[in-house]
Amino acid sequence: EVQAAALTERGEDITPARDRGVLKIIKRPGSEDECPMIGDKVYVHYKGKLANGKKFDSSRDRNEPFIFSLGKGQVIKAWDIAVATMKKGEICYLLCKPEYAYGSAGSAPKIPSNATLFFEASNAGEDLFEDGGIIRRIKRKGEGYSNPNEGATVEIHLEGFCGGTRFDCKDVKFVVGEGEDHDIPIGIDKALEKMQRGEHCILYLSSRYGFGEAGKPKYGIQANAELVYEVTLKSFEKAKESWEMDTKEKLEQAAIVKEKGTMYFKEGKYLQAVIQYGKIVSWLEMEYGLSEKESKASDSFLLAAFLNLAMCYLKLREYAKAVECCDKALGLDQDNEKGLYRRGEARLLMNEFELAKCDFLKVLEVNPQNKAAKSQISLCQKKTKEHNERDRRIYANMFTKFAERDAK
Amino acid sequence: MAVDELQAIIQRCQILEEADFKGEDFNLFQVAGQKCLEDGYAAQLLEVIQNEKNKVIIKNMGWNLISPLVRCIFMYKQDDDRRELCLRILDQLAQLCNPKELFLGLLEQIEQTSGEQVCQTVMLLLQPLQTVLLKLQNKKAYSVGLSLAMIMNQLTPLPVPYTKQQIQEDKLGLCQCCNAVVDFAKPFVNEVVKNMEKSSEYNDMELKEELVKFCMKSLKYPLLTAQLEQLEGIEDHPFRQFATEIIDILWNIRELIPLVFLHPKAKSSDWEDQEFADIEQKNSAESLACLSYLMFVQHFGIECFPMVFSPSYLLQCNMSHVEVLLKRTEESMLSKGLDLFESCLLRMEDGSLLHQYLEFKDFVNVPQDLVKIMTLCPIEHVRKKSLNILQLFIDKFDTEGKYTLFRCLLKTSNHAGVEGYIIKNIKDQVHVSLTKEYDNIWFTGHHLISLLDLVLSLPEGAETDLLQNSDRIMASLNLLRYLVIKDCESDNQTGVWTTLAKIEQNFLKPLRVGLNMSRAHYEAEIKNKKENRKEAQSSNTVCSVTVGGEKLPAMTTGMQLQVLHSALFTFDLIESVLARVEELIEVK
Repeated sequence: EVQAAALTERGEDITPARDRGVLKIIKRPGSEDECPMIGDKVYVHYKGKLANGKKFDSSRDRNEPFIFSLGKGQVIKAWDIAVATMKKGEICYLLCKPEYAYGSAGSAPKIPSNATLFFEASNAGEDLFEDGGIIRRIKRKGEGYSNPNEGATVEIHLEGFCGGTRFDCKDVKFVVGEGEDHDIPIGIDKALEKMQRGEHCILYLSSRYGFGEAGKPKYGIQANAELVYEVTLKSFEKAKESWEMDTKEKLEQAAIVKEKGTMYFKEGKYLQAVIQYGKIVSWLEMEYGLSEKESKASDSFLLAAFLNLAMCYLKLREYAKAVECCDKALGLDQDNEKGLYRRGEARLLMNEFELAKCDFLKVLEVNPQNKAAKSQISLCQKKTKEHNERDRRIYANMFTKFAERDAK
Repeated sequence: MAVDELQAIIQRCQILEEADFKGEDFNLFQVAGQKCLEDGYAAQLLEVIQNEKNKVIIKNMGWNLISPLVRCIFMYKQDDDRRELCLRILDQLAQLCNPKELFLGLLEQIEQTSGEQVCQTVMLLLQPLQTVLLKLQNKKAYSVGLSLAMIMNQLTPLPVPYTKQQIQEDKLGLCQCCNAVVDFAKPFVNEVVKNMEKSSEYNDMELKEELVKFCMKSLKYPLLTAQLEQLEGIEDHPFRQFATEIIDILWNIRELIPLVFLHPKAKSSDWEDQEFADIEQKNSAESLACLSYLMFVQHFGIECFPMVFSPSYLLQCNMSHVEVLLKRTEESMLSKGLDLFESCLLRMEDGSLLHQYLEFKDFVNVPQDLVKIMTLCPIEHVRKKSLNILQLFIDKFDTEGKYTLFRCLLKTSNHAGVEGYIIKNIKDQVHVSLTKEYDNIWFTGHHLISLLDLVLSLPEGAETDLLQNSDRIMASLNLLRYLVIKDCESDNQTGVWTTLAKIEQNFLKPLRVGLNMSRAHYEAEIKNKKENRKEAQSSNTVCSVTVGGEKLPAMTTGMQLQVLHSALFTFDLIESVLARVEELIEVK
């Protein structure tokens, strides 16, 4: 809780004019020495209250940090001053006099005239994939314009921390997407694709991008742990683009990559498996001018890739993508039992019961012995009934409402 | 008998396989059903429809009954039992018929109505339409979008109730209908929200996009045209309610804040044809302007808006919206534009708007639009408000900003009254400069002199029409008089004494000459008229004036003389100030 009294008594005056217009108390210090500079894009989470304790705004209510360019007059003066003093990761309390906020005009309707504002604010850092999974804070900018792509070979220095204790420190060279082979979590692979040569940054990984539910006993990491990594991308060599390889090479690589994908899948590393199978698709899906033999091999790889991708997406709960992959698999082999079954599963989980049922029925046409399909069909029917009941209850009798309104 | 015919076709179809239904069976069913309805046998028709054995028939052929059914419903009065029966038939059809075909049938029905029937028909068919849409699996999003677009299309030609009386009367049912349509859309909104919550990856983009399109359309019609202020005596203002619901939808599907920040020019267009792209941009510009109005003036949805932006930044973001609205001529849109502009300006402290903002094109265009409104708009309260807001705008700028703005408006307004107003503002600023402690370079010294060149001049020298420009000339003379009195020659803070010779040459002398000439001219005219009075009234009028279809009577000689005398009076006024100024200059 923000103590107005504490701020007035002990708060540090951070105004250039030293007129106590903006007072600050640090709640949690940041993790580095650098403050943001003018023009930097800053990400701030905050909660704002009036002097009477009433909350007038919170970025948490919008589920996303507030983003603005520092020092450009886009925000109230107090913020341009205060955020410039906030080290990355810092959380602080602020007291802002009206002259540095909304002055005598106030800001209708929430902020009255001559209001002193109180904030709890944190300098959040860049959310790489906009899902809170990986937050990056750049300590030193890299150079150049390119980033490592999937499959690129990177040389990095890496230090891993969990709960404040360092559990890993090494210099390592590996292929992006295969960091797992070096006990490096998938979040690092993903982040590397957004880093530049020479960049030194800190990455905050949520469990999903870390070691997940399995944890990492080797390092003493528990399940569902959040991790912090300090990474320097020393150098990298991009992987060959699809157009740089000829068909023969692609088919050779496809075999290797398929095995790798299966290995990851068996270990439950679905994100890494997706990357591997995905390579097959990007190499072969649009490949032309194949001989008959090559065509057969290519289709076989693609079919396996699509089917396995569907499996992975089911595990990752990305059902729409699973359906897409099944569609593609069935495009190559329309009576493929696995394809139909997996698509049925995905559709069932998306509550598209009719379509799911169709798929399972087709499975039975192809293989009447498939018991799993049978039980899925009855599950579909059960769910359809439940849903219709529920809809009927919720949207019942709009008509009566209208009739009543007409009658008035 | 109609019922017998119906039974006949039913019995025939009962034994057929679904695939064997022929075109003529469909026809016979429709004709028989229609006849039943028209002859008052709705009860029997309902029985047939509810009969389990006829399920397949109804599923395939039922949708053909929509048209006659709707006709009948409107034929019967509210309390009529037969109406109730028809409504139940409609409900049954919604449950039993093939969703795809029924959907088309309903949409067709909506498309065919017009004028007074539109709202009634739409409200009647919303419930079955919703039932049917919820059943569709494939292409649901597309169908929902199509329905909403079709409904809004049908509503758009209808006039929007504006006055309190019109709203209460709601003659065509538009108010009621609009709110019914948002209710209709709710389950689809809920679906999008549910899907977004389930997985951050799964984005039913299509349905969300259709809902956004619907909201954008609603912002333009009816909201942009509607009167949205609180009205005394109306508890639930239907359009305020509608606006709240639209904003709710946008907030729930997480498009509200992104849209508020979206600059129409920044939006990338999918159209290849530039003409279409321009049309789309223009349409969305007005919707976005309306959205800003709703949020910042009526405060709908403002709880969701970040409260840390600086007021100047808010103004900057809203300027393009203000410009879009001020370019229109309809009162509903003009007043919204003015209100939005005012609301942004009132959030600022005087003198806090940096002059650099005038580098933005819209910051220069908007005041010129205000000038057009205050001089050309036929509605008096809009003109007055426009003038007030211009003053407010001037007050918010820092001194250099004011200076630049004055120069701009003097050059572009082409209206003596406006120019006079600006010149008065200049005088006020000079006054502030002379009385305050700090040294203000913009309204003293060489900057002021440069401005005085613009102000203290006659556009056409001695031949300037003094009557036309009297407002401006009086203001100029008053400014000069003030400068000469307030600023001692020894101080010469303003610099007016330095440039006096030029002022005399470019302004005072030609003014003197012009006055003499004009006065002589008008006095001659008066003399002529008085002498001609004795002769018969000549009937060759040079021109006639027609107002509102009625030709104004020609001015009598008496009236004409009055006008000429008042012109002379104006010249006297000008001359008196001119004489005073010349006197003061002589003395000093």
